[in-house]
Amino acid sequence: MKPQLRLAAGCLLACLAVAAGAQQSSPMDVVPDKMPNDIPYGTPISLERAQAAIAAALGESRKRDWKLNVAVVDSGGRLVAFARMDGAQLGSIAISEHKARAAAMYRRETKAFEMGVQAGNHYLLTLDDVIASRGGIPILDGGRLIGAIGCSGGTGSQDEVVCRAGADAVKR
Amino acid sequence: MKTRPVLTLEDCRKISAAAEAEAKRNQWNVCIAILDDGGHLLHLVRMDGASPANARIAIEKGRTAAESRRSSAVWEERIKAGRNSMLGMPGITPVQGGLPIIVEGVCVGGVGVSGVQSHEDEQIAAAGIKALA
Repeated sequence: MKPQLRLAAGCLLACLAVAAGAQQSSPMDVVPDKMPNDIPYGTPISLERAQAAIAAALGESRKRDWKLNVAVVDSGGRLVAFARMDGAQLGSIAISEHKARAAAMYRRETKAFEMGVQAGNHYLLTLDDVIASRGGIPILDGGRLIGAIGCSGGTGSQDEVVCRAGADAVKR
Repeated sequence: MKTRPVLTLEDCRKISAAAEAEAKRNQWNVCIAILDDGGHLLHLVRMDGASPANARIAIEKGRTAAESRRSSAVWEERIKAGRNSMLGMPGITPVQGGLPIIVEGVCVGGVGVSGVQSHEDEQIAAAGIKALA
């Protein structure tokens, strides 16, 4: 082998070794002791409470002159109450329900998916029924998940503000 | 250019509250869905005790009425009369319990109810729409 070729081959092997080493130290390989988001599912949210969450969300939205869709699902991710404000975007009807459902099914705020994807963890988009956009928040009662609220129609940040107002109004 | 009436959230609240009152009066637990004339959901309440299936069915009955401008019972009757081909109509849920909301001769949306017997579902929907007048 010519000296230049030998050098090139050596470099290639070194590169592969570095790549293999990098793989071993991937953050995905870490095995945590505890489960993440280990929140038990509770009794499904009542209509009264779901409507209280929607009323609080709509109040916040109206205060800011925003027009949003707000959906509340139960602990099974199924629709309990929904309201579309006058003039709210039609495409966001399904998105608001999707955000609420994803927050309930994955026991976390949909913002977590958004941030994950932003950070480069694109595999998150391959998980079933995920929506990687903030504005979906679980509703807890005594540490148990009883439902979730989802808002859509504005920017993600606007959706989240309104969503939080709704969730905070009924959490215990 | 033509103008037409449009349902507001306030209208939906009126319809929904009246429908819910009719259901409660009879001790029925149902889901009540209100959709606009394009078949897009405006308002939904699922009373405690109504199932997740009721939520889906209520929306589809309401959509059937809103988009076809006639009660979902009309579709059910046609099929019962032997028009089996109507089962293949796109977007149609041919089960009683969905009524169109007609204002000034124009269909502005639909109400769908699911949870009890179909004729009772329709009774609830009718009570809701009546509150709009």
